[in-house]
Amino acid sequence: MAETLTVRFRLRAAAAIVGALASLLSHPARCQISPNQANRITSAIGNRIEALTIEGGDLGLAGGRYRIRGSDDDMDMDVSKFSGSGEIGDPRSLGDLNIAWQPRVQGSIGTVDADSHSHSGSRNGVGGQFSTFAIEFGGGARIWLGDQFSLAPTLMGMYGHTSDDSTAAASSQTSQTQTVAAGANTRLGWNENTWTVRPALNIQYAITWNRTIFTLSSDATFFHTEFAGGSNSNMVEGNAGTLANGIDIDIPLRKQLYGHELRTGGYFSRTELLGDLKDGLDTEHVYEIHGRLVLDFLNQFWKVQWLGVGGSYVWGANFSGWTVGADAAFRF
Amino acid sequence: MRASTAVDPLLFAAVILLAGCWTAPVANVRPKGEPRLIQAAIAVESIKSPAIVQSVDIHTRTIVVRSPAEVSATVYKFGTKVSNFDQIKIGDEIQPTVVEELSVYVLDKGKLPGENGGLQTVEPHAKVLTVDSSYRLLTLQYPNGRKETFKVGLDARLAQMEAGDDVVIRTIEAVAVRVRSR
Repeated sequence: MAETLTVRFRLRAAAAIVGALASLLSHPARCQISPNQANRITSAIGNRIEALTIEGGDLGLAGGRYRIRGSDDDMDMDVSKFSGSGEIGDPRSLGDLNIAWQPRVQGSIGTVDADSHSHSGSRNGVGGQFSTFAIEFGGGARIWLGDQFSLAPTLMGMYGHTSDDSTAAASSQTSQTQTVAAGANTRLGWNENTWTVRPALNIQYAITWNRTIFTLSSDATFFHTEFAGGSNSNMVEGNAGTLANGIDIDIPLRKQLYGHELRTGGYFSRTELLGDLKDGLDTEHVYEIHGRLVLDFLNQFWKVQWLGVGGSYVWGANFSGWTVGADAAFRF
Repeated sequence: MRASTAVDPLLFAAVILLAGCWTAPVANVRPKGEPRLIQAAIAVESIKSPAIVQSVDIHTRTIVVRSPAEVSATVYKFGTKVSNFDQIKIGDEIQPTVVEELSVYVLDKGKLPGENGGLQTVEPHAKVLTVDSSYRLLTLQYPNGRKETFKVGLDARLAQMEAGDDVVIRTIEAVAVRVRSR
């Protein structure tokens, strides 16, 4: 494969990550708590901030709209995200070696708005509004060891801002508990700034059979997050990671619409959640199956590879969800 | 932090070995198989480089242009659907979109077996550099090293084409033009 210069933006639900937050918000809340409980809650809030920041700002996890129905509360989540990654130019030889490389750039920007409502009569239910903004950018290289096989080590940096938007009238015991746990601040509307470094490695093997492209990929990603200012210090610091393995199939249908060939396909992936992400979302892995129906614009309209619609079903141990949205890919 | 799905180092090494080596695309290679015509009259569209109009013939709808990169002048015949043909004047800079037909051959030193057992000489204009059968992209390399990628139709026999095949290009007519008055 001479070039795989794809940049995609996805407007798809992150049902997996978002859904898992429900369990986090279901922790029992009490106004008077012990130091151990305070530490646990502080850690849980920190993990939640990490999870929301990664969910909102990282390109590896999808965005969209999601509703969670927990045993004690319901939560609506809006995850808006615009992300892309891709290689620039044709592969270039590395000296006399039979290896080529391309510079790679990656970026993502997104927001998460979470609104949780207690079930009526529930003692353990919680309510509150949380919002996160996150942005990340970085790059690396794609190294071609074969015509189909490549590695892409990358390094990214991410800034995140998460705030508790609960009002006093609407706040629940959880908000009060968060305030007590945080210790240093007595108001409900806390906010936290964070920075995250994100080294990652993508391994990809792509083969074409009878015009259908099969792409096997594995992505190992590590996140180290630190507190970078805000109303409550020492709430956020930790390590998290994901290990995603998946297969993408891209099938031409030999039918044309307005001069563009229809293509279908999709992918299936399993993502292991590690470290604080696993703890914060209370789940170990997430599955996603995605389907798409698109029109081929490659070499016909600017740098667009395809435009169409796509949908995903995401599920894990504690949640599931659907999403439908635009599906686009670019090749530079 | 420990992944529950550990990667076997031997498996990883095996995958790398099976991947082989990366090979740069090269057009100056001898294609496989006997000399033959793989496919003729593959219709494609090509956006040409900007050039300066030297003369305009309204009756035959032909325009002669010269570009700084080309030694000789080029003649384009414009189709009747080109609505802004009448606006083109001598001295304008135009960038036409041209319909071309590609004929792809496997040649032996520029020769092709003829019908009577003799050899027919073919003068190719370019060579195939890469073939993307999935997205129907055919990338050609011209003698001056310039590359051009074409989107070919569903009926193109890309599975039979490969790097090194010779290509004869026949210009049919211009179907669109971008005009910049000077």
